[in-house]
Amino acid sequence: MKYLVIAAASFGAILLFLLASASANTALFASHYPWLLGLNAVVALSLLGLVAWQVRALWRDHRAKVFGSRLKLRLMLMFGLMAVLPGVLVYAVSVQFVTKSIETWFDVRVEKALESGLNLGRSALDYLLADLSDKGHAMALELGDHPEPQRRVLLNRLREQTSVQEAALFTASGVLLASSSAAVAALLPSMPSPAQLRQARNAHGYSVIEGEGGNELLLRVLVPVSQLGLSSEPRILQLTQPVPAGLAQNAESVQAVYRDYQELSLGREGLTRIYAMTLTLTVLLALFTAFAVAFVLARRLSAPLSILAEGTQAVAAGDFTPRQAIYSRDELGILTQSFNQMTRQLDDARRETERHRAEVESARAYLESILANLSAGVLVFDRRFLLRTVNEGALTILGDDFSGLLVEPVDAWPRQQILGRAIRDAFAEHGAQEWQTQIELDHPGGLPQTLLLRGTQLPEGSSGGSVVVFDDVTRLIAAQRSAAWGEVARRLAHEIKNPLTPIQLSAERLQMKLSEKVSGADAEMLSRSTQTIINQVQAMKRMVDDFSDYARMPAPVLAAVDLNALVGEVLGLYETSCAKIDVALAADLPPVWGDATQLRQIIHNLLRNAEDAQENTDTPRIGIATTQADGLAELAITDCGPGFPAEIIGRVFEPYVTTKARGTGLGLAIVKKIVDEHHGRISISNRQPLGAEVSIRLPLAPASIPPSTAASTET
Amino acid sequence: MRCCRKLLRSLLFGVVLSIWLASLAAQAGEIEIHNAQLSLGEEGYVLAADFRIEFNARLEEAVAKGVILYFVTDFELTRPRWYWLDDKVVSRTQTFRLSYHALTRQYRLSTGALHQSFETLDEALRMLARLRNWGVLDKVSLKSDETYLASLRMRLDLSQMPKTFQVTAIANRDWNLASDWARWSFVPGDVKSGVAENK
Repeated sequence: MKYLVIAAASFGAILLFLLASASANTALFASHYPWLLGLNAVVALSLLGLVAWQVRALWRDHRAKVFGSRLKLRLMLMFGLMAVLPGVLVYAVSVQFVTKSIETWFDVRVEKALESGLNLGRSALDYLLADLSDKGHAMALELGDHPEPQRRVLLNRLREQTSVQEAALFTASGVLLASSSAAVAALLPSMPSPAQLRQARNAHGYSVIEGEGGNELLLRVLVPVSQLGLSSEPRILQLTQPVPAGLAQNAESVQAVYRDYQELSLGREGLTRIYAMTLTLTVLLALFTAFAVAFVLARRLSAPLSILAEGTQAVAAGDFTPRQAIYSRDELGILTQSFNQMTRQLDDARRETERHRAEVESARAYLESILANLSAGVLVFDRRFLLRTVNEGALTILGDDFSGLLVEPVDAWPRQQILGRAIRDAFAEHGAQEWQTQIELDHPGGLPQTLLLRGTQLPEGSSGGSVVVFDDVTRLIAAQRSAAWGEVARRLAHEIKNPLTPIQLSAERLQMKLSEKVSGADAEMLSRSTQTIINQVQAMKRMVDDFSDYARMPAPVLAAVDLNALVGEVLGLYETSCAKIDVALAADLPPVWGDATQLRQIIHNLLRNAEDAQENTDTPRIGIATTQADGLAELAITDCGPGFPAEIIGRVFEPYVTTKARGTGLGLAIVKKIVDEHHGRISISNRQPLGAEVSIRLPLAPASIPPSTAASTET
Repeated sequence: MRCCRKLLRSLLFGVVLSIWLASLAAQAGEIEIHNAQLSLGEEGYVLAADFRIEFNARLEEAVAKGVILYFVTDFELTRPRWYWLDDKVVSRTQTFRLSYHALTRQYRLSTGALHQSFETLDEALRMLARLRNWGVLDKVSLKSDETYLASLRMRLDLSQMPKTFQVTAIANRDWNLASDWARWSFVPGDVKSGVAENK
């Protein structure tokens, strides 16, 4: 663009110079003047086109609201106006001046004077011609009076008398008869043309001023000479006389000036036009060039602003790449450099922030993963006791997905109301202090759950609120209880077992010693009493053994066991049972990880329980099923008995809790203990409308260990 | 106001100028050429033609005020070639100056060093309109069996006049006096074949 403007401007300048040179009165380019004008006009038009294009581009930018376009437009207009106003002023004055001054050249008086001068010259020449003509007529009369032969002498004499330069006598056809000349060198007079001779034959003769080019003017007079004899051919007298040199020269110069003046006068309009057009073209070229240059200047000035605007937008959009810097020493250059520096700093700051955020994120993710993998349940509340966060452990412990509880005040929870109330009460009671409490959640048809809650207020800095951590201590309590019972049983067994043998031996001795001494009814009573003692002692021994079994149950030897095969084995003992047994074993059950002997005892205990529970039932039915669920093997045994009474269902796994008339109450306790040692789970529930269900979940054997058959584990 | 009008006129002028420049080549002829004929003379081929010149009042006035008018007669002889640009055999130009001698009240027609004076403008123009014996070509420069294309035109040459008239002529048709090219084919062997009419 810049080079285009420079090229156009310099081309226009050259053309203008040529035009101005041609406008002055030099011969240079004079013949190509129109072409010069045309070229200049074309350059002016192309400059106009350039300016129009520039203005259009600017306007389009302005319309599109490109940043900096308004400034550019304004700058261009200002620069343009600065060029236009003086230019137009000078132009107007110049045109006015030129046209006026040209008009003043042409004065009526000057024209009149020139015309008068010309007329003066003409009159002088006419006078000379008339004089010469008179002389000619006089000479012709004189000559006519004389006969032909005397005429030559007479001609010479008459010429000398009248002091004419040259005199000659011709026939009508132009044959020279006689001549006389003042000039010695002239041998022949200047000959008249046939047309002149023809015109001379009339009575008045013929007179003419001949200008043979240059300043020489010749007066020529042809007069017919009357003949004496009418029949004879007429003769023609020619007088020639050069116009005096001074007169001729002056007259010529007057004529030359007159011609120049007329030329100028005729071309006055053209002259005015030349000046006006030259001026106009100059002004137009200058103006358009000024506008084009103004555009370039405006663009150069506003370029840093555009770059800054782009940069600002880019920064706003998050792009911190440095902008193209403008290396100028003025303030705009400094501005762009500062801007670049600023964006660099911003970029650094942003990167720093990003890094921090990533660190915080990872720390949070770390905490969250810890929280999620925590087996304890965590509930976080805000100031108004709206639940904000709940971890995976809480969901697992409570068996609830907490949907609908989040962002709800604790009081308004539709579920888990016991928990909510406990939390609320504890916080109300303890305020900002840490607290700990234990609650029991009832599950209809299942085991009650004991939760240990610990609550504390969060520090005010982290937006306050409070956090509650809770653990499911049901199993812990059960384990503690069963451990206590085991200890009791062990001691009791020990303490009881010791005197039993002496008691039994004493009773046997009593019978042996006294049976010979007594007889009759006494002997029978003795025998019966000692037998009773022995029997009861043995029963007591068995019971104590049971206790001690329970207390000192050996640690299981874990191996891969086919649960279905075990079930089949144990069912063999119940073939004679009065109850009808429904068996539903999963065909593709993987081996479980357990002790075959203990598992067999579990199955046996449960089946016996189910059988015992239906003693008073008419059509006892027992269901036994194995399934695979959630990566565990499940063994479920159902009956149609009366089910677990509600008052003992929470404690059925404790020793000595039984519904049977005869029973140690250790069956389910042992089952529970074995299952716990297998890391399995046991759950009991009452079935509707009647009956109970015990289901055991056992872990599967690791896949790498091949399952062994039940027979091999038995050995 | 006046200078404003001048400016406007000058602007208008610029537009007219460009149009004129464009139409320079195809100017409307106000000179007609009749009986253009190329014949074999003693020296060589000579050209004869009659022109009809529409001399308008403005030109008459200019001449009467002493302005010299330049009439240029251009003659070209080309040999058409189908395979290349035409061969330009000869190109001749003759300039006639028509002027008025105010002192002697005579019209003068001159070409080169020769000149003739006439009492009236009509006589001078009649002389100008009759082109005779213009030796344009040597005898030997043409082959008798070839066909040539002869072109002739006459125009008022403004470029030799003062610039003011050139500028005036841009806007004024009165000053644009020219004939179209009169073209006729010419076979040197057949002398009869060279008469051209141009309207």
